[in-house]
Amino acid sequence: MTVGSAVLNILVFPGFLFLVAFGLAGEFVDRKLYARLQNRQGPPWYQPLADFLKLLGKENVIPEGADRPTFRLAPVFALAAVVASIFYIPLGSTTSVLPFEGDLIVVLYLLVIPTVAFFLGGWTSRSVFATIGAFRAITQVFAYEIPLFVALLAPALLANTWSISGIAAYYAGHPWLWLVNLLGFGVALVSLLGKLEKVPFDTPEAETEIVAGSFIEYSGRRLAFFRLAIDCEAIVGASLVAAVFLPFGLGLTPVLGILVYVAKVLLILGILALLRTLFARLRIDQMVHFCWSVVAPIAFLQILINLVVRELI
Amino acid sequence: MNVARKMVRWGQRKSPWILHFNTGACNACDIEIIAALTPRFDLERFGVLLKGTPRHCDIMACSGPVTRQIESRLVRIYEQVPEPKLVVAVGSCATSGGVFNGLYNVKGGIDQVIPVAAYIPGCPASPQAIIDGFAKLLKTLEEGK
Ligand code: SF4
Repeated sequence: MTVGSAVLNILVFPGFLFLVAFGLAGEFVDRKLYARLQNRQGPPWYQPLADFLKLLGKENVIPEGADRPTFRLAPVFALAAVVASIFYIPLGSTTSVLPFEGDLIVVLYLLVIPTVAFFLGGWTSRSVFATIGAFRAITQVFAYEIPLFVALLAPALLANTWSISGIAAYYAGHPWLWLVNLLGFGVALVSLLGKLEKVPFDTPEAETEIVAGSFIEYSGRRLAFFRLAIDCEAIVGASLVAAVFLPFGLGLTPVLGILVYVAKVLLILGILALLRTLFARLRIDQMVHFCWSVVAPIAFLQILINLVVRELI
Repeated sequence: MNVARKMVRWGQRKSPWILHFNTGACNACDIEIIAALTPRFDLERFGVLLKGTPRHCDIMACSGPVTRQIESRLVRIYEQVPEPKLVVAVGSCATSGGVFNGLYNVKGGIDQVIPVAAYIPGCPASPQAIIDGFAKLLKTLEEGK
């Protein structure tokens, strides 16, 4: 890879610019669908962009007593980790920008960093509500992260590779095998809701009880970056799930492939918006209980199924 | 004005997040503000979102007369809002003190304590009036006043 194409990859496609544009568009789709399902008009298409620009122009307040470097760096780390993980996920074809054996694990770990950043940001901002939100965020990690890992490892087990590109290539080569992973797909969607802190798993930000959770003291530019990180995380998470569980249309021309990829991500975002409308917020203990007693066993069942199928074929 | 500044200005007009603060209202104005935010009136059409923390808000919607007890808190909340910020007085009480004017425990309208950008009269101000007030305020911002 030459320096020029590397820079292009990092800054334009599939890196920063593409991800930001797609992330903002994704937020719009989510909010608009949510509004339409509630029988209202919803925001105009430029709303996420307007929110972002407005926040850039606001005053930056750092609360007294906060740990300044951590408070400042948390949003940057969150965004950087999310943008870095897109390079290992195949978009619209069977290879990512930098495929290697084991990138599935790297991406899963990179996607934990935003949650840790939310925790650190809330923890250092010295607000009681933010501290509660931060602790809930970290409690929630233990509930959804393991089902997500297990659900994503099951297809990897069948494909006999730890690389996302390899998994995508394997399922593209065995057209009907993705049907085996449907349970895992469901588990991954539920875990994604937890990762993105969306209703019904939005206890860390629960605006009606702890105001805004970890973000309560953030304003201006830093809040804008946190919001952007969440938007991009939605896209990256959806791309990861799409690459592993929905291996259709991978052998097409680049442009057509990207269109199919966008459609898949939008489908997943649509399902998430639907779930968000359907359910009310769970309490944190209910959430943990639900994840451990329902979601995790289903994820392990998926592993079992895949082990059996692997013996059969 | 350069392009970046123009874009930020545009964002400010299109995305006003509000903080609802009761400075001593009889609660009717608060109910009307909440009503204006329900799906029936759908203020999100204009990008309005209700925020719980002063750090995230751009427009403070204050209802009710300023009581002597709330005065210092009102100033404190106002100072916690990052610049640029605006204050909207919702209801007759917030505008002038209304029926509570002259009471020993009441200071008067919101503008006795902090600068106010728009007044929405009515006892209580109806959701239609509140939406109209916000739309007019955003319109004045557009004209650069
Ligand atoms: S204006 Fe009327 S309804 Fe509103 S707070 Fe005052 S008395 Fe209550």
